[in-house]
Amino acid sequence: MKVLEHLKNNFLLFDGAMGTMLQNEGLRDGELPEVLNIEKPGIVSKIHRQYVLAGADVVTANTFGANSLKFKNQKYTVKEVILSGIKCAKESGAKYVAQDIGPTGALLEPMGTLTFEEAYDLYKEQVLIGKEAGVDLFIIETISDLYEGKAAILAAKENSGLPVFCTMTFEKDGRTFCGVDAVSAAVTLSSLGVDALGVNCSLGPKEILPVVETLAKYSKVPLIVQANAGLPKDLGGKTVYEITPEEYTNEIKKMADLGVRVFGGCCGTTPEFIKSMKNYLDTVKPKEIAPPGVSFATSGTKAVCLDGRTIVVGERLNPTGKKKLKEALVSNNMDYVAREAIEQAQHGADILDVNAGLPDIDEPKLLQKVIKEVQSVVNLPLQIDSSDPSAIEAAVRVYNGRPIINSVNGKKESMEKILPIVKKYGTLVVALTLDEGGIPKKAEERLNIAKKIIDEAEKYGISKEDIIVDALVLTVSAQQEEVLETLRAVKLIKEHLKVKTILGISNVSFGLPNRELINKTFLAAALGAGLDMAIINPMSPGMMGTISAYKVLSNEDKDAAGFIKKFASEEKREVKVVDNENTSLFDIIVQGRKDESAQKVSKMLDEGKDPLDIIENEFVGALNFVGEKFEKGEIFLPQLMQSAQAVKNAFVVISDFYQSRGVKREQKGKILLATVKGDIHDIGKNIVKMMLENYGYEVFDLGKDVDKSLIIETIKKENITLAGLSALMTTTVKSMKETIDEIRKENLPCKVMVGGAVLNEDYARFVGADYYAKDAQGAVQIAREFFKK
Amino acid sequence: MDKSEVLRYLGHKGQQLSRGLDLEIDEMINKCRDISKPKYVYKIYNIKKHPDGVEFLGSSLYLFGKSVINHLKGADKCAIFAATLGADIDREIAVMQKTDITRALILDAAASALIEEVCDTAQNEIAGLAKREGRKITSRYSPGYGDLSLDYQQKILNMLDAQRKIGLTASTNNILLPRKSVTALIGFI
Repeated sequence: MKVLEHLKNNFLLFDGAMGTMLQNEGLRDGELPEVLNIEKPGIVSKIHRQYVLAGADVVTANTFGANSLKFKNQKYTVKEVILSGIKCAKESGAKYVAQDIGPTGALLEPMGTLTFEEAYDLYKEQVLIGKEAGVDLFIIETISDLYEGKAAILAAKENSGLPVFCTMTFEKDGRTFCGVDAVSAAVTLSSLGVDALGVNCSLGPKEILPVVETLAKYSKVPLIVQANAGLPKDLGGKTVYEITPEEYTNEIKKMADLGVRVFGGCCGTTPEFIKSMKNYLDTVKPKEIAPPGVSFATSGTKAVCLDGRTIVVGERLNPTGKKKLKEALVSNNMDYVAREAIEQAQHGADILDVNAGLPDIDEPKLLQKVIKEVQSVVNLPLQIDSSDPSAIEAAVRVYNGRPIINSVNGKKESMEKILPIVKKYGTLVVALTLDEGGIPKKAEERLNIAKKIIDEAEKYGISKEDIIVDALVLTVSAQQEEVLETLRAVKLIKEHLKVKTILGISNVSFGLPNRELINKTFLAAALGAGLDMAIINPMSPGMMGTISAYKVLSNEDKDAAGFIKKFASEEKREVKVVDNENTSLFDIIVQGRKDESAQKVSKMLDEGKDPLDIIENEFVGALNFVGEKFEKGEIFLPQLMQSAQAVKNAFVVISDFYQSRGVKREQKGKILLATVKGDIHDIGKNIVKMMLENYGYEVFDLGKDVDKSLIIETIKKENITLAGLSALMTTTVKSMKETIDEIRKENLPCKVMVGGAVLNEDYARFVGADYYAKDAQGAVQIAREFFKK
Repeated sequence: MDKSEVLRYLGHKGQQLSRGLDLEIDEMINKCRDISKPKYVYKIYNIKKHPDGVEFLGSSLYLFGKSVINHLKGADKCAIFAATLGADIDREIAVMQKTDITRALILDAAASALIEEVCDTAQNEIAGLAKREGRKITSRYSPGYGDLSLDYQQKILNMLDAQRKIGLTASTNNILLPRKSVTALIGFI
């Protein structure tokens, strides 16, 4: 009987700790436990055997950390330790052998430097070796980052076809070290198609019970619990665990009642624990867990329930009709993208729609980049919006969590291409009610298309609770007669198909003045028709106000608590009228009044002041003044930065001014900035960027942890003559040197300035830089000297 | 948290602060406290000095270097510890950089001050253990100081099982991640 068959009607009992047992056998601190598979296979086999004798169905091979990252520079290869580990496990005579797959040991992007793709490759290598050795299943465990879990799960599923179990480790606050909550874990892991999911390690079984209860509510697959033997206690430098096998089993009883079907133990558990559990589990029958019945979209750390509440999907990350975003996407200005995402989140969006569709652009690559950027700054789930199936798959793949795909439609080709992606990655999907015949006029016909898509999706095993139907909003200025037909379709679809609905509200008002009035009136009508999800601009108070009001009227916002909180405080808040009539721009900047500068400049432009004059005289004059004060030590860095931010905020007004007149502002010179490979400290670099931009330089910011090849490529492509590199650690000064060597080797006419905490004049000489900037002001001086020539 | 420490990280040398900036610093200190999840872990080993380095008995750690021998002069026991503020504060600093970089810088400085404070707490606990044996402790000494290689970072984390216990990792360039983290040695003398 294969392991999944066994699991259908039976409990499945794993073994207990391996590490604890190896330590008892003399494993020294700091040694990689997997090495013993080769050096002391007898001991490893003996431990497995003890677990089998205690009643374990599955033994877990001693391969937890057997990946190429941890085994770099070790005397054995990953392949050697995995093969010998699996051999030891098989020799125990266990019914099933699981290959143990732990975290890579490195933190993934965006908080770390390991990319998703690199993590995938590390896992793929392990999986292929295990498959060849004939393991029965993979147990991916002690995962703290869902993103890393996803890389491992995809690697296992795509390269083996064997069962995949996945467990995560939680802290007392119910979250993992990376901030993952139990709902997000249950939803995301289920959707990725694992065969069982749960918790391991973490705390003792008693402490972990609340997490298990939540998992039981939202998991779609059998649950696993492999807890520690209570909380660790330090006994004179030696860690001991505090509970007995009987106490452990007592807790297990509650979990079996909740529907947990797979048990085992983690740190501190021994064969006695397994035996005690076995004795109990033999006396009871496993319980089924009820399907959740509701749908969630998730990010890496947040789950948003889409049922029973009105959802706001932020529309602003879509370049259609948005000049600035278009420009930002073309020029790789990810800061702009990030700010748009952050602002929508701050204004109350539940989900963000993300679209990077532009002509003549590598959309899969750009969309991936945008998704990664947005996920690095907001924790809202995303709706991946594209008409290109390859861009959708590329984006869904690197997405952390369970996204919504926007969209599939009733065309045969669309369903054939999109639905397999929905199934494979377990996403939600928006279904547009159009097909080969276009958008039908009548609501009944749109209902039919929705039904067709739902039926087709069912063939792929996609349940209708994961489908959100978009009955398509038409523009009232073009198809006035049909606008209300969309709302009739929403009603029909809700009534007959019982699925969730979504509409892109703003489409209705194209070509009309006072669009917001039309939009919010239509929104209210759509909500009245039963709309679940509204794609709107969360920055519009009118639209968000309508949502808030509707939530009260529809009894969603109980006792109007949310409404009162929002508006009572808003009424109390005084409208701050800044009176800076008599304060000069110079003083505003020097005093670092960063919230007032934009308004002032706006007024100066209205009065006919020349923008170039503002830049050259007002900005530069004030910046030079504070720069000197900083150099003399009369002010310190935060004060210098407040002034710089005042200029930065005012610069936005000037850029808008130029843009509205279709003029491109002449830049003073191009400067490339990057934090070198391996280094992820970028706050200093970002300060330098702000200062240089304030002086009118065009900055190409390549970000942090930047590969030297990208730096070379950008220097060539943009004809850069001055590059600024930053490194904060002595270990990454080396990559700074390598980057500069490469620039020299290529004979590029580009000078290099360097800066960063560990650098000094000596280091700068050592790495071969042309200039050393001791701080942000220093970088400005260098640039000004440089471009004066 | 000692505000003067935060100011020191910001390069403050007695310049007069505007009320606005002063409030902003207080605000960031509070935010830092709210978001950080300080955790630490340590183990104590008997050590043996050799001419070229220090051996940690019962483990596979052997630290090469003159400076570490010197630092542990007179010690026959040594605590190894690791401390971190967790990943959330890193994320908050990163996000804030996009919207208000001055506040991000202040928050970063507050986090630097807080991790030192966490290290002090761990150190006091270790000092308490030493005291019970009637002994004193040395100051903290970290990889990267003197000639003690940063390459020991990963090994030290392995010894403490730090990824599992406090979520602390090191990158291939030996940068501790989450960023606001410290590893160090403390000798018993």
